[in-house]
Amino acid sequence: MNKFLEFLESKFMPFAGKLAAQRHLGALKDGIILAMPMIIIGSVFLILGFLPIPGYADFMASVFGDQWLAKLMYPTDATFNMMGLIAAFGIAYRLAERYGIDAITAGVISLCAFLLATPFNVPFTPDGAAEAVAVGGAIPVALMGSKGLFVAILIGLFSTEVYNFIVKKDIVIKMPDGVPPAVSKSFIALIPGFVVISIIFLIRLVVEYFGITSIHDIVQLVLGKPLGLLGGSLIGSIIAYGLIMMLWSAGLHGTNIVAGVLNPVWLMATEENQVAFRAGEELPNILTAQFFEVFINIGGTGATFALALLMLLWSRSQQMKQLGKLSIGPGSFMINEPIIFGTPIVMNPLLIIPFFLTPIVTIVVTYYAMKMGIVAKPAGIAIPWTTPPIIGGYLATGGKLSGALMQAVNIVIAFTIYFPFFRMWDKLKKAEEDGANTTSKVS
Amino acid sequence: MNILLCCAAGMSTSLLVTKMEAAAKDQGMEAKIWAVSADAVKANIDQADVLLLGPQVRYLLGQMQTLGKEKNIPVDSINPIHYGMCNGPEVLKTALALVNK
Repeated sequence: MNKFLEFLESKFMPFAGKLAAQRHLGALKDGIILAMPMIIIGSVFLILGFLPIPGYADFMASVFGDQWLAKLMYPTDATFNMMGLIAAFGIAYRLAERYGIDAITAGVISLCAFLLATPFNVPFTPDGAAEAVAVGGAIPVALMGSKGLFVAILIGLFSTEVYNFIVKKDIVIKMPDGVPPAVSKSFIALIPGFVVISIIFLIRLVVEYFGITSIHDIVQLVLGKPLGLLGGSLIGSIIAYGLIMMLWSAGLHGTNIVAGVLNPVWLMATEENQVAFRAGEELPNILTAQFFEVFINIGGTGATFALALLMLLWSRSQQMKQLGKLSIGPGSFMINEPIIFGTPIVMNPLLIIPFFLTPIVTIVVTYYAMKMGIVAKPAGIAIPWTTPPIIGGYLATGGKLSGALMQAVNIVIAFTIYFPFFRMWDKLKKAEEDGANTTSKVS
Repeated sequence: MNILLCCAAGMSTSLLVTKMEAAAKDQGMEAKIWAVSADAVKANIDQADVLLLGPQVRYLLGQMQTLGKEKNIPVDSINPIHYGMCNGPEVLKTALALVNK
């Protein structure tokens, strides 16, 4: 076990450091985070549209008319379902910031390039027609959301790379002295912007030449499918989670380091569920962003809410009792750094065992409970990850009691797994404290 | 004295902020202490006399120390146990020691 801990410290620290310093991953994570507040705002309207109160829908229809729900979804469509568009801007902006070049210009170039990669027509099936026809003059809303996320990521990174390359090579239009700096600055974007737009234009022409509908289709096939398999499968998720837990065991913010890569996949699953939920259809995904935030990380990574409860209720050692009091508050809002560093779980061979075991068990149990239809799946409603347990499960499933109950069950599971390890640790701490007291009395 | 704390989202360090403020008040010290997320450090570092990292983002220490050198302020990570127990007085002491070094 000590060898393992040494391995974590010596190999994982530099690895995590490099990963965190990696510009593109960082820009990807921060750029997508930009969309999160909007996703949550969109979810608020979603919750309002589907309040699980008997007679609510009839009441709303009688007050606001038949179209009340469609109208209530206007804000959701313009926030939640624009995550691709926001990411196209945000990722380029954050990457440019890291390169120290004009971020807002990079964002705008990327935004236009993203739109250029998207054909401006939508399929429409006229009454009586068998096949859909493409109607021009419309930006396809579906591709502005998570369906366009992968293209947004690629273009955001690529266009800013080109921008940076050209600016750093000093291939810019130089203005003679005496031209106001603001004027010459406005020309700096011209060459890189032109190059980026031309490249995406050419790619689109080639793609269309081969009879493929759009760049989105190719990217979805090449990138979306394999990543979807990793993040969307139970085994893939457990592996990803194992990695997150391993980093946390070494005291590093694993979620922050690993989730950047899988977040697009999990967010995409969230949006697919949201669309199905609104249409009243069967929800296609179990493993969405909320599956982990709401059902697995109860009290923070490692489901430590149960451990905080154990400390509060059954500690004999003073230190654990104090920590229980200190950590139950933040733990109720899914923040657990006090527990992770204070107990500590970090680098502690005894407590790392339940810390690893609990999320894996709860992932499997929750997954199958949802798959078998015992518990409602997350409805594609994004609530803040700091939402307290029980409330969170209820809201995230679109107001299903089974969601709240699942969280309660997971707390009980965590409680059971942590219990024996907590008792051993508490005993050790108590012995330490007693030992310290007797020595101080003697001396 | 301005003390900037940083962690992943600026949330768990904000717990520590209140404890450190209390400790500073006890010692009759004027201190501005605030917590931000890692990506907001650049925008905040100019107002700071010292930057302390939460142990969970100590993999950023190298990066942040380079930034600190540019701005000529000391940067270090917080002792994990002090961090976990939200030990305001001890972390305040660390900050003071760094500034007065």
